[in-house]
Amino acid sequence: MLKRLLSRNETYLIVIILIYSIIVGIKNPAFLSYENFFDMLRASSGKLLLALGVLIVLISGGIDVSFTAIAIFGGYASTKLMLLTKIDNLAFAFIISASIGIILGSINALIIHYFRLPTLIATLGTSSVFFGLMTILVGTKSINAGQMPSSITNFSGARLFERIAPSGNTYGLSAFIIPVILAIFITWFILYRTMLGRGIFAMGNSEESAKRSGFNLFLIRFFIYTYVGILAGIMGVVYVAEVRWVNPISLVGSELSIIAAVVIGGAKLTGGEGTILGAVLGIIIIQLLNSTLVFLGLSSSWNDFFVGLILLISVSITSYQYRLKSRRNLTFSD
Amino acid sequence: MSIKKITNFDTSLKILISITIFVLAILGLLLGRQFFSINNFQSMGYQIPEFGFLALAMAVTMLSGGIDLSVVANANLSGILAAFILTKHISLLKDYSDITIIILATMTALFIASVGGIINGLLISKLSVPPILATLGTMTFFNGISMAITSGEGVVGFPELFLNAGNSTIINIPIIFVIFIIAVFIVGFILERTSSGLSIYLYGENRIAALFAGLENEKLVIKIYFLSGLLAGFASMIMISRVNSAKIGYGDTYLLQAILVAVLGGIAPEGGRGKILGVVLGIFILQALQSAFTLFAFTPYAKKLIWGSMLLLVMVINFLLDKWRSRKYHAKLESLPQ
Repeated sequence: MLKRLLSRNETYLIVIILIYSIIVGIKNPAFLSYENFFDMLRASSGKLLLALGVLIVLISGGIDVSFTAIAIFGGYASTKLMLLTKIDNLAFAFIISASIGIILGSINALIIHYFRLPTLIATLGTSSVFFGLMTILVGTKSINAGQMPSSITNFSGARLFERIAPSGNTYGLSAFIIPVILAIFITWFILYRTMLGRGIFAMGNSEESAKRSGFNLFLIRFFIYTYVGILAGIMGVVYVAEVRWVNPISLVGSELSIIAAVVIGGAKLTGGEGTILGAVLGIIIIQLLNSTLVFLGLSSSWNDFFVGLILLISVSITSYQYRLKSRRNLTFSD
Repeated sequence: MSIKKITNFDTSLKILISITIFVLAILGLLLGRQFFSINNFQSMGYQIPEFGFLALAMAVTMLSGGIDLSVVANANLSGILAAFILTKHISLLKDYSDITIIILATMTALFIASVGGIINGLLISKLSVPPILATLGTMTFFNGISMAITSGEGVVGFPELFLNAGNSTIINIPIIFVIFIIAVFIVGFILERTSSGLSIYLYGENRIAALFAGLENEKLVIKIYFLSGLLAGFASMIMISRVNSAKIGYGDTYLLQAILVAVLGGIAPEGGRGKILGVVLGIFILQALQSAFTLFAFTPYAKKLIWGSMLLLVMVINFLLDKWRSRKYHAKLESLPQ
């Protein structure tokens, strides 16, 4: 049992998170409060949604860098549409945003499948195209908190339960956790309880073998990229609610930190490996760094430095282990 | 090299040259004198080296079947460090003359950028980290260092002499453009006339075959990423001399453009195929379009849309061409007498 635990990437991540939290907690006890915990949970909800999408793509052996463009497209367009049509309904926002996600995701899937393009370069291209399309079709003007539809503002402040801190502030579990829990459950179900999930893993391990064992690669790919699109669309609305202000040129550029988080969580770029728990832990680490450097007396400018360092160390360790293993087995594939 | 291979190379270059002429003709028709003026060509000469070096760096790594996502971050970091020296942030440097400072800054930029490249090479070769991940990690890391040491603020106040050097010309040709052309010839020579260069092609085509052919793959990879880093170092000096400051986030759009140029120039993203001449033509096409867009007063967003669609379009056309070629090849095989 212990041996099995020690062989898992997640165990180390949990240990690192605990030790780091204790150090920050000793330095600044305010960190170890429920209030801070719930704040961090709220702030990481959007990232968790994106991470699930990235995880599925990485497991299938691809990489997607266009999901932030899809998310901001969905979030911005749906908010603007709500203001335009005066339909002030949260479900409407989610449906519009997710539909945009489906459309853009399927474009990714079709391009990647029919023209056999390398996924990184293809999605780098579509990312610019989606972003450019958004600025032309929807605009580039920010929507500020005062103009926000009230359903979004309500969603932003909604809590599942509330408590009152000694300081007099109320805090509680944000409603953002509902889409996250749902997405985690659905992703888990798809990956581990359906033939589709088997297909995604099989494709990541070896496309040729997956094809020969009868998986329909087109359908699998189509599902993967539209699923990423849906998650990104949902995240777009959550993001708009989180910051209560849409700046259409925000969010794009943060995709690499999400990919970094999922990779830190143990997903392999070469495909076939990765767990939901790992991805969640990876996001926790990134979020911890994001919000605790200040507690340690470092400015937030150091954020990327540590994210990069952790990413480099973790990929070096996993890749080196894999290298030793392939040396032992005399396999020379990548 | 077989005759067939030579003609093959020629077709892709022929296509590229026709595209270049076509683009120039269209732009000439639309913009006329505005485009075909000494002024415009001179300003193109100032703008090309900046991302030209980055595109060369990207092309070399893509030729080996890898990719260097950290080129821009690497250039930024070394640019910022060079800027620290140029602005005499370090009190030790107060007494030195401007020329010494400029030489010192240039050496630092080239050295730091090469070290950055070698780190990439070591991660990829000695630890077997996939190139995308290794360079993604170093990209975040280099940006992190730049951010940490500048807090996101620009480093300004370079010596006059440095700015003049960046803007000087030889018979109306910007000196940085001359440096760029020399670099193109050196990289072209390395790739096509030296054994290391041929090894890069072989490694890019099939690394397992390269390994069994007795090539020292690990050393080769380090060399490739070292070259890429060094080229990024040149880009960094040109970048800071042109904008007269160093700041994190400069040239972020160049990453997409560098990949676009490499693909446009005929470098196959899976490695092993492509010529530096193609990349140079790609750089010229991109710059011609860039200047035209500026004359048309396009927004940066519209430009982004165009670059993105171009990247996809070029890749799709390459795919279709490949498919057409292999079909023709198979048809020819079948028609041969058994």
